[in-house]
Amino acid sequence: MNRATYRLRVLAALPFVLALAVHLLVLALRYDRLSDPLATHFGASGRADGFTSRAAFAVISTALLLGLGAGWTLLVRRTALWGAWATAGFTGALLVLLVRDNLDAVDAALVSSPLANLTVAAAVAGLLALGGWALTRLVPPVDAEAPVIDGPRLPLGASEVAGWTRAIGSRPLTVLAVLALAVTPAVLLLAPWPGALLGLLGLVIGVPGFALARIRVSVDRRGLTVRPAIASRPRLRIPLDEVAGADVRDVDALADFGGWGYRVRAHRTGVILRSGEALVVRRTGGREFAVTVPDARTAAALLNTLAERHGKV
Amino acid sequence: MLFRVDPASAVPLGDQIAACVRGALADGSAAPGERLPAARELADSLGVNVHTVLRGYQRLREEGLIELRRGRGALIVPGATAPDRARLVSRLREAAAEARELGLTEAEFLDLARTSLG
Repeated sequence: MNRATYRLRVLAALPFVLALAVHLLVLALRYDRLSDPLATHFGASGRADGFTSRAAFAVISTALLLGLGAGWTLLVRRTALWGAWATAGFTGALLVLLVRDNLDAVDAALVSSPLANLTVAAAVAGLLALGGWALTRLVPPVDAEAPVIDGPRLPLGASEVAGWTRAIGSRPLTVLAVLALAVTPAVLLLAPWPGALLGLLGLVIGVPGFALARIRVSVDRRGLTVRPAIASRPRLRIPLDEVAGADVRDVDALADFGGWGYRVRAHRTGVILRSGEALVVRRTGGREFAVTVPDARTAAALLNTLAERHGKV
Repeated sequence: MLFRVDPASAVPLGDQIAACVRGALADGSAAPGERLPAARELADSLGVNVHTVLRGYQRLREEGLIELRRGRGALIVPGATAPDRARLVSRLREAAAEARELGLTEAEFLDLARTSLG
């Protein structure tokens, strides 16, 4: 783990540590003034309908903040640091407000918690989010130095301009999309209402399916672009300055991406129309983008060459 | 299909684009029946004028290598002979360039071509 990542994790953990400290301090100072058990859940009217013993509340609330903090610390990204602060602020504020509502209660069943608590917590979350966002500048971006691009190259003259483009279609996806689109009007017309509205589900499958059934992949001075062959939008684009390297790989649609179409996995995204040859682009953030396309070697070589040239200019 | 053009070269850009398609067809990286990128799109991609691309496509059409259809864009002619035809056209253009270097007139070159036909 490099220094930037370390600093980022510390900054993500910090709001949870602060929230926990404040919460435990409040709890310790006011422990004797709390009824046992505490009202810990409230209905829509604000009246208590769930109860927890004082000790259990202390343990559960601590575990909640620690759990959320651990999650954010492990998974945080530079652009999402504000989210850690917002989460800690929201949770911490709700816990402290809960303690306040329970102060000096004769009977926990009579405790009420105003809905305004949520507004206050949201306001605290908003303020802390701003703070977290401001702290982001303390963390240098990962790609601060010019990325070293690896992978094949395509020799290109100094004044030469190059672009690569290729369309690729998937017959099964086309058939599926056409079927789904055909089912919609059929169901809407023939099935009894209102069940027939389920036919609209056909559009949910058919429209994106149709957009992905035939795509055009291009590599040029603007980076990598993937879009439906019949329209220029929606499109996916990776600009040259986000390319850390491109290569060819054989992908297995099911094993690597869990299926066909536009796939999002933990560390990679893909437009997968079949198993086999794919252009795989490593992004500066560390994520991978794959698109199955023939002649991917040429595409990868050109993308690397253009990205390198882009970095030098 | 890879398009590469050199604005610094003496060869007109349209001809360079046509040469890319011929080359791709000859080496198999473009297949008969394949659709070429729309002229506007290719122009954007390479940063050249759309008319330059259209000039290149027009030349390919004259050579019988692509079909231009209104609304359907440019298609490489279907049929197994398209790659061979692309190679033939490339060699003819090389021969023409050589003839020009040798100082042959158009009529002399055509005479030679007619004689070669036997």
